[in-house]
Amino acid sequence: MKHFSKGLIAGAAAIVLSIAAPTLNAATPDDQLVIGTSLAQVLSLDPQQATEAKAIEIMANLYDRLVKTDRSRNIQPQLAERWEIDDKGITFHLREATFASGNPVTADDVVYSLGRLLKMDQAAAANFKRIGYKADNVDRLVRAVDPKTVRIDLSGETTAELLLYRLAMMVASVVDSVEVKNHVDNNDYGNAWLRTNSAGSGPFTLKRWTPNEMVILEANEGYVGGAPHMRRVIVRHVPESQVERLMLERGDIDIASALSAADLKTFEGKQGFEVQRVPTGGFYVLSMNAGNQYLADPKVREAIAYSIDYKGIEQTIMGPYGRARNVPVPEDYEYAIPNPDWHFDAAKAKALLAQAGYPDGFSLSLKTIAQTPRIDLATAIQGSLGQVGIKIDIQQGNGSDIIADHRARNFDLLIPQTGAYMPNVLGSMEQFSSNPDNSKEANNAGNFAWRSAWDIPELTALTAKASLEPDAKKRGELYVEMQKKFVDLKPAVLPLFERFEPIVVNSRVKDYVGHPNQLTRLEGVTKASD
Amino acid sequence: MKELTASELARRVLHLFVSLFILLCVTFVIGRVLPADPVGAIVGELADPAAYEAMRTRLGLDLPLYQQFFIYLQGLLRGDFGQAILTGNPVASDMLQAFPATFELATLAIIISAVVGVPLGLAAALFRDSFIDKFARVVSLVGHSIPVFWFGIVGLVIFYATLNWVGGPGRIDVFYEGMVEPVTGMLLVDSLLVGETEIFWNALAHIILPAAILAYMAMAYITRMTRSFTLEQLSQDYVIAARAKGAGPARTVAHHVLPNIAVQLITVLAISYGNLLEGAVVTEIVFSWPGIGQYMTNALMIGDMNAVLAATIIVGFVFMLLNFVADIAYAVLDPRTREVTR
Repeated sequence: MKHFSKGLIAGAAAIVLSIAAPTLNAATPDDQLVIGTSLAQVLSLDPQQATEAKAIEIMANLYDRLVKTDRSRNIQPQLAERWEIDDKGITFHLREATFASGNPVTADDVVYSLGRLLKMDQAAAANFKRIGYKADNVDRLVRAVDPKTVRIDLSGETTAELLLYRLAMMVASVVDSVEVKNHVDNNDYGNAWLRTNSAGSGPFTLKRWTPNEMVILEANEGYVGGAPHMRRVIVRHVPESQVERLMLERGDIDIASALSAADLKTFEGKQGFEVQRVPTGGFYVLSMNAGNQYLADPKVREAIAYSIDYKGIEQTIMGPYGRARNVPVPEDYEYAIPNPDWHFDAAKAKALLAQAGYPDGFSLSLKTIAQTPRIDLATAIQGSLGQVGIKIDIQQGNGSDIIADHRARNFDLLIPQTGAYMPNVLGSMEQFSSNPDNSKEANNAGNFAWRSAWDIPELTALTAKASLEPDAKKRGELYVEMQKKFVDLKPAVLPLFERFEPIVVNSRVKDYVGHPNQLTRLEGVTKASD
Repeated sequence: MKELTASELARRVLHLFVSLFILLCVTFVIGRVLPADPVGAIVGELADPAAYEAMRTRLGLDLPLYQQFFIYLQGLLRGDFGQAILTGNPVASDMLQAFPATFELATLAIIISAVVGVPLGLAAALFRDSFIDKFARVVSLVGHSIPVFWFGIVGLVIFYATLNWVGGPGRIDVFYEGMVEPVTGMLLVDSLLVGETEIFWNALAHIILPAAILAYMAMAYITRMTRSFTLEQLSQDYVIAARAKGAGPARTVAHHVLPNIAVQLITVLAISYGNLLEGAVVTEIVFSWPGIGQYMTNALMIGDMNAVLAATIIVGFVFMLLNFVADIAYAVLDPRTREVTR
């Protein structure tokens, strides 16, 4: 027995020695970018279907659009090298580019992609449907003039400029029609295939996507702008913020998003790391249900606007996530108006409540997704509304039930968040200022104002007018009027804080610049050697 | 203990399927009455109602509950678990990806916990109230009472971030990602199959910490149970007789106690293994481990019932299978049943 165990140990030792010693790579490779984030919400990588922010971040590197918006929110060429605008529409001239498959990018691909968006008719199509592009008119309005020229006629419900902004959105990505058509199954426009594969002309291609584990992008060597510096981009699912922090410190990931406020704080001013606040153009909002007997009264809504300590919450809770703002247009956008004088003033709020006939206050429920920072925001609001006599019962839930309640108008107060779909007043404000039909039967559940049962015919008309005003100066005046009107109405969708996406970047990473609409491109990113 | 005949075996297999069916019914009903909104998860928050309804119909969620269940069962009989919303893949192929990750982790953990836990329990019983007994008691108390989340984070801070002894979260360094074609889905096995020892070591460096933490949790239970089984045996007359005849502690344990507690120990190990295979959700989340626990949690969050049901069936099946194996092991190991079969 003794001999046997000696032999066993010797044998084991020999095996161990014959196998190479373990190596732990402390740092990420120089030619690979590793991003840590939460991929829990990524359900599709089909650009004409997915609308979730993380999915957009990934797809932005797989696909090109005709045009793009730059950091200063101006329209710039992407697949279209130039275009001419006339009264009836826009004519785009495509540059010489190829898809990752090797197929050339042609006018047919553009026509197919926009048709695909509207005919698949998912949530992604909403922004084009709103300006009059529909499944039944898209073939007429979007045409290939020749292989390198595309003509898009105005629908009659938009101006050329606003159409350009929409064409710069992720949903207007140009897909490789030859490739996609090869994968059509059961009339699905190749959706089942494209959800988990890529067919674009962007700087990267989708190598692998394992849900809740990682997404691997590989450089598209034939990219029209030249092969990107990074050979691979790996987006890792790291659901735990503290773990993500350790990985960033250790150098196992280069960029961390979705960190909690506490973990973010540890990187502020820390050598070797840079904290970026990427603007989203969106807001953290307090939605009030105007169908509620109390909240129907503008005086009550104004009282609530005077019951929240925006500045205090900004400092203690929002930190890198948000900046106090009560107009649904970020302060630095062109034509943004200054903030109204809403601040915490218990006496004034109580007086307003008394005028409305509720000197003793009342009770309301407040629903929120159990997620940083909204959950802390809810607690703060509960505290300060309590001081003016409004008793708040907080109900937390996961994303899908809270959103379902919001869509069904099943709430008193609720804290949703928005994002700007295009970087201008209309893009950030439209969801707050347009509600064409407030009736329950209209069931316009995609619309924020409708969800709050907030009936605003004048503001809606003003918004529609601004969308159609071709003259930039006149449109600017309308934008200002819209915002003033919004404040006057004591909004049932009250913006609280402009929303930022804080990320921490390892200083080895150069030229990573967060794009305000999540369309961050990675082809220019380089890494210093460790 | 019953004799293990063909009819008895058939009865047990039938029992297994009836239990699975009941499990299926309960999970299905719970899943459908949950307030989760799978349609919303797919079409997106800003979808208009027409698109929302169209997707609801496509998923068959507009049908009455019993009809949905019936359709689901029909699929199951064809071996079709349906499509997962989360991944768009057939659920069966997702399971083939997630389960090996959990299996690898659980198996390593149960081996570590048995190798350490059983001898520790034996020693604690043999040297009752000695230092080793007190040590074993403290160790199992701590293992039982401290949350695994805390262990995970502290383990990472010490062994990963500070000492740099182990790999971080995830199954492998990104550098090696995608270098080994999955055969069994278990990286430790697959890397050796193609002779990639460097990848094997890297995968081992990643798995060892979560496995050790899970093993510690399981060990707490195994040690405690081994100790109490042994103590019970040590007070029996046959042990006293053996000791009186001059048998030392080692001989007593090896020849008398162990065979007598083997059956009970197997039950304990089977239960522990089953618990581990269920997918240790918290450990998987802390270590970004793409196993069945994390898969199921995410699926539940968005109400992806096809995925939840399939995972439930697999976990349930594994549990029942382990029970079944333990039952057979009893028949083989228990001296009394051995007498009967002879």
